[in-house]
Amino acid sequence: MVKVKYFVQQSWLLIVVSFCFGLLIAVANAAWQDRILQNEEDKFNNLAKGMLTEAASFETMVEDAEAESLKGKKIKINIKRAINAGGKCVGWAFSCEGSGFADKIKLVLAVDGSFGKITGFGILSSNETPGFGDQIKNPYYRNQFAGVPAEELELSKTGPSEKIDSEIIAISGATVSSESVIKIINHYVEQVKKQLQSRGLVADDK
Amino acid sequence: MTNDTGLKAGVYKETLLRGLWRENPVFRLLLGMCPTLAVTVAVKPALTMGLSVIFVLLCSNIVVSIIRKLLKPHLRILMFTVTIATFVTIADLFLKAYVPRMSEMLGPYVPLIIVNCIIICRAEACASKSSLGVSIIDAAGMGVGFTLTLCVLAGIREILSTGAVFEVAILSLQSQGGWFVPLAAMSMPVGAFITLGLLLGLVNTITKRKTKG
Repeated sequence: MVKVKYFVQQSWLLIVVSFCFGLLIAVANAAWQDRILQNEEDKFNNLAKGMLTEAASFETMVEDAEAESLKGKKIKINIKRAINAGGKCVGWAFSCEGSGFADKIKLVLAVDGSFGKITGFGILSSNETPGFGDQIKNPYYRNQFAGVPAEELELSKTGPSEKIDSEIIAISGATVSSESVIKIINHYVEQVKKQLQSRGLVADDK
Repeated sequence: MTNDTGLKAGVYKETLLRGLWRENPVFRLLLGMCPTLAVTVAVKPALTMGLSVIFVLLCSNIVVSIIRKLLKPHLRILMFTVTIATFVTIADLFLKAYVPRMSEMLGPYVPLIIVNCIIICRAEACASKSSLGVSIIDAAGMGVGFTLTLCVLAGIREILSTGAVFEVAILSLQSQGGWFVPLAAMSMPVGAFITLGLLLGLVNTITKRKTKG
C-alpha cells in the first residue's frame, strides 16, 4: 500500500499531463485529418492527370488489392480508374514504391485504358542525390516512358532517348536510380494487370 | 517599484539578446546541428523549420514554466520529452494539412524536432527555473536566433546551388544565357558542412575582435 502511494505521489503529474496532451493531439488530428487525406489524394490525382490528359476524374476501382512488394512482403494498393468527360475509361493509375539509391522512391504509374501502354510515371516522393539521381524527374528520362508497351522494360546505357520502345536509356551518373524506377515499374505493372484481368476490368491477353 | 520594473525590463532584454547573438543556439552553442545541416538547402524549408521550432519552443517553455514547481527532479526529462513530443506532433499535423509541399520537403526532420537539443536545453536551463515571462522571452530569443541562422545558411546555399533566393531568380544561369554556373555540391551535405564551417569561423573572428576591443 505504501508503495502504491509512493508511485502515485511521484507520477501523478506525468499521468495527468499525458492525458491532457493525448486529448490535445486527438483534437488536432480530428480537425485536420480530412484535409491531410484530401491533400494526398489531390497530389496523386494531379500527377496522374498530367499523364492521362484526357481524364476528367478518377475513381477507386480496386481498393486494397493484394500485391507483393519488391522485397517480397505482402502489401495493399489502390487502383484508380480515369474517366473522361463522357464517362469512358481512358486509363488506370496506381501508386507503387521500391528502394532507390538513397531512399525509397514512390511513384504514380499511369497506363492506358486497355492496359497496353504505359503513359508515364510521376514521382510522389524520392530522395535521390541532387544533380544526379534526382534527374529521374527530368523530361529526358521521364518522356522515354510515355507510350512504351506495358511489359518488361530494359535499361540500356547508350542509345537514342527519343525512340519510344521497351529500352530505356539510363541517366549518366545515376544508373542505380534509373534502374530502380524500371525495377519498380516492371514489378508492379504485371501484378496490377493480373489483378484487373482477374476482376474482368481489362481484357485477357490473347 | 519603478526600480523593480526597470530591473525586469533589463532581464527581459538581456534574455532576448542572449538567444539572438551571445548564446546563439547554432553559432555559439552548436546545438540543433541535425536540422541546421539537413534543411538548409533552400530558404523556404529553412524558414518553415525555424517557425516550427519557435512554436514548439514557445509552447514547451510555457508549459514547463507553469508546472516547474510540481516537477519531480528525477522525472523532469520525461516530462520535457512528453511536452515537446506533443507540440511537435501538432506542428507536424498542421504542416501536413496546410503546407503539404513544405511538409514533404522537410520529411522526417519535423518529427525529429522532438530530439532537437535546443528545446530540451531551454526547458532544462531556463524554463524549469524561471518565471513565465522570462521563459517566453527566452523561447522567442532562442527561436528567432535559430531561425535567422538557418535562413542565412540556407540563403547562401540556395543562391550558390540554384542562383535564386526564396525561389526568386537573382543570378542569370549559364543554361539560360547568363554567366552563373550553379554549384550542385552546395545543395548536397558537403555544401552544408562547408558553409556552416565558414560561418562559424566568421562568427568566432568577430567575437574575438569584440572581446579584444
